[in-house]
Amino acid sequence: MSSNKVEENVSATQALSGRSTSLPMSRVKLIMKSSPDVSHINQDALFLTTKATELFVQHLAQYSFRKGCGKERNALGYSDLAKAAEEAEPFHFLTDILPKKILARDYLRSLEERTEDSD
Amino acid sequence: MDGDNSTTDASQLGITGEYMAGSYVLQSQEGEFFYDGEESLNDHEDGNGSKDNLREQDIYLPIANVARIMKNAVPQTGKIAKDAKECVQECVSEFISFITSEASERCHQEKRKTINGEDILFAMSTLGFDMYVEPLKLYLQKFREAMKGEKGITPGPIAEGIGEEITDDSFTNQLPAGLITADGQAQNVMVYTTSYQQIPGVQQIQFS
Repeated sequence: MSSNKVEENVSATQALSGRSTSLPMSRVKLIMKSSPDVSHINQDALFLTTKATELFVQHLAQYSFRKGCGKERNALGYSDLAKAAEEAEPFHFLTDILPKKILARDYLRSLEERTEDSD
Repeated sequence: MDGDNSTTDASQLGITGEYMAGSYVLQSQEGEFFYDGEESLNDHEDGNGSKDNLREQDIYLPIANVARIMKNAVPQTGKIAKDAKECVQECVSEFISFITSEASERCHQEKRKTINGEDILFAMSTLGFDMYVEPLKLYLQKFREAMKGEKGITPGPIAEGIGEEITDDSFTNQLPAGLITADGQAQNVMVYTTSYQQIPGVQQIQFS
């Protein structure tokens, strides 16, 4: 086959990669549409949202890992994410869904202490 | 705690049973699950409308894809706990909704019905994700070039009211591309559009 054909195929492949995403756009669209009062979303908007979401995952993971993990702890966990939500301004919107978890008995104890204080 | 409001039904809480069984969530003697802070998880009443049954927080992106992006973002030797992956999965849905409602609001203010690219970029900026805007513009450029090549249409500002909706047909997951190399050998190259790819010319973003 001619080298022209090879070039054509290669550039077609590259062109396709320009619009490829690591996250499925159809699912992103579903989530977007579940927002109230959203009717139509154009192609650019859906692509941008999907790409932005990829960047967001990178950003959140990278930030949380850097802050929370070091030589002793090499695993990114829930608490690292909760901490990131509290400390970094762009992630503040996550604080409601990333509550810091505590032991049930500690919570009950603090409840008791509060009731005692009000007596 | 008001016993009537709490629930151990994982599906009602919108999180997977596995997540509930993780080591961080502990039960009291009565078998109820507690989180610090308000019980926002239990506020929802099951509605009758089809939209109500599928709350925005119930729709997630596939965890494998999310996990892959996370893995590429941390050092190679780093590990990611399972509960962290599930958690980011939820955060992602929250992020999408966050951006979308901001963009949608602006749209409404300007009496438009279709959310366009500008609305999304503006929302990013407003909500503290300004650092994404420039890389996103580059990605959009590549996207438009790719679409132009594919469909033979010139990209430009999409006129309001036409509101082109994307069908799932536009984006297939796997595209076999047959390559014939110079020595006549046919090779099949699978173009995985769901795999993580570095776009040439757009640098990997470092977030401090």
